[in-house]
Amino acid sequence: MKNRTRLFLVVAIGVLVLGLGTGLLASYGLTNIGLLGGGTPDDLTYIPAQAHMVAFANVHDLATSELRQKMRGFEPNADARNQFEKETGVDIERDVDQVLVAGWPSDANSTPEGQPLLLARGRFDTVHIEGIAREHGGQVEDYKGKRLVIIDGQPQKIAIGFIEPGLIAAGTSMAIHQAIDTKESNAASVTSNAEVMNLIQEAQGGTTWAVARFDSLTARSLPPQLAQQLPPINWFSASGYVDGGIRGTIRAEAKDEKSAQDLREVVRGFMALARLQAGDKAQFSDLVNSLELGGQGKTVSLEFSVPANLIDTLGALSAQHRRSQEPNRNGTPDQPARQVPSTPGA
Amino acid sequence: MSDAAIASPLEPRAPSFATSAVRVYELSLGEMLWSRRTIFMALVMMAPVILALVSRIVQSFGVAPLRVEGVRIGGTGIFGAIVWLLFIRFTIPVLGVFYGTSLIADEVDDKTVTYLFTRPVQRGAVLMGKYLAYLVCTILVVLPSIMVVYFLIVPFAEIGTSFRLLLMDLGIMALGLAAYGALFALVGTVLKRPLVVGLVFAFGWEQLAMLMPGYLHRFTLAFYLQGLVPHAMPSGGGVTSILQAVVSETPTVSTCLIWLAVAIIASLFLGARAIERREYVLEQ
Repeated sequence: MKNRTRLFLVVAIGVLVLGLGTGLLASYGLTNIGLLGGGTPDDLTYIPAQAHMVAFANVHDLATSELRQKMRGFEPNADARNQFEKETGVDIERDVDQVLVAGWPSDANSTPEGQPLLLARGRFDTVHIEGIAREHGGQVEDYKGKRLVIIDGQPQKIAIGFIEPGLIAAGTSMAIHQAIDTKESNAASVTSNAEVMNLIQEAQGGTTWAVARFDSLTARSLPPQLAQQLPPINWFSASGYVDGGIRGTIRAEAKDEKSAQDLREVVRGFMALARLQAGDKAQFSDLVNSLELGGQGKTVSLEFSVPANLIDTLGALSAQHRRSQEPNRNGTPDQPARQVPSTPGA
Repeated sequence: MSDAAIASPLEPRAPSFATSAVRVYELSLGEMLWSRRTIFMALVMMAPVILALVSRIVQSFGVAPLRVEGVRIGGTGIFGAIVWLLFIRFTIPVLGVFYGTSLIADEVDDKTVTYLFTRPVQRGAVLMGKYLAYLVCTILVVLPSIMVVYFLIVPFAEIGTSFRLLLMDLGIMALGLAAYGALFALVGTVLKRPLVVGLVFAFGWEQLAMLMPGYLHRFTLAFYLQGLVPHAMPSGGGVTSILQAVVSETPTVSTCLIWLAVAIIASLFLGARAIERREYVLEQ
């Protein structure tokens, strides 16, 4: 075999091996060791295996994003934020780094949403937060060495748990107990649920992501008539990257390929409607043109991108709308109200 | 002690079928790689790579390189379309025809077949060795090309979900090259003008039979090869819908694999048998 033939073989096989190696690492290795997509949050070990909804938000990245800076400019005042901090002792943007929300079914609570739990990781003044909770009638309880403040709300007991330094849990007391049990007893957490974890692996990496069983989502949020019209869907996931704008992907896993195809047709119809509605509005056309329908087999995906200029436009519209509402509050109303003072004069 | 027993240690033993095939393979691989035909193949393979590069550049400016019915097709969808339209329907049959038909026919045309047949190797091993050289040569040009196209088109974030499809596509390409190569090697061994017959078969008969209703498409390789592809193609996009509509009947994976294997084995067996029996008369 001549040298140039040998060289050709080495180069061709090298390209193949390099490509296969990169692909294998990207599809199996990197996602597992957390180099691609940032890895799964450690706090998933608190979530029981039967979870049917898991959502995550990187609050720090959201708070420091260009989008948030823009939104701050559109806010009328900081009253609402200050009010929340006053009532809870937490400034979300300053104190919270990450939030993980999960829901799972339980015997005691048969609602489709199940037991909701929020885990917030960040820097908290626990004494201050506990003091505020006690002011609201909270009772301190110790559960397996973790300090919980139980507030006897209706219909369930609401609790705040200081379960790790820098980690606060909020939700029903039963949910917090179950979360602590799951972590402490090394019981099967959601990380052992392959179905959910596969979806999380696909969705994670963004600033925010969520994975949920579709029936748990639609149980209350969708009218039954509409829910019945949709093709059967098992799982739903969404992920979003936030910078100056928002790039997101919504995925649905249908029961079978036929249902997925039907769902694609439904989405395609909505896309056509959106295109029609967008008309010649350039900002909205960007959004509509960014829609990308895809997926294979049982999966249907829709990618979208909300460009920064559309957010600017929406912000300006919102500010304009607010300004037009201001006179109403001051008793100097717009069109219908303006007629009122003119009546006595007549 | 018989005469034969005394004579045997002095006479060199003829190499086995496999050894002969490997020797012919080693000899043919270099010749095949650095022939004019390979320049043609390199040009054919450059087209999808250039297309992928252009698509990547267009995509980097935020413009969708491919839209079907107003729906933006993602990287995985574009890759699927390239694999289907450029590789499965064009490149694989073309390479099969050009290389397969020339395995023996070139030796006959160049009048060098005599040198091969006067060697102490079985004639069938010559065909097998050349076929192996064809397979290695084409697979090592086509598969890296697909790999480059894949990494140019598919965004890195989508590799995790689409890499399995790439592996399937690579397997389908290798199988396609093996099937077309074996069939046209048989054609090149048996017929006098194999290239014309090969081109008519690949771009006349196969294309026509695939579009005709009834069972005629079952007598094509494209039917079984394309039957494997929908499992590797994204089934969501508009492109797929159009492409799948072309082939209304989709055979099962096992049916495709069995018939392609039968085609390869039968073609090679018949080709080896024909070359063993046929008397090649070289034109002066």
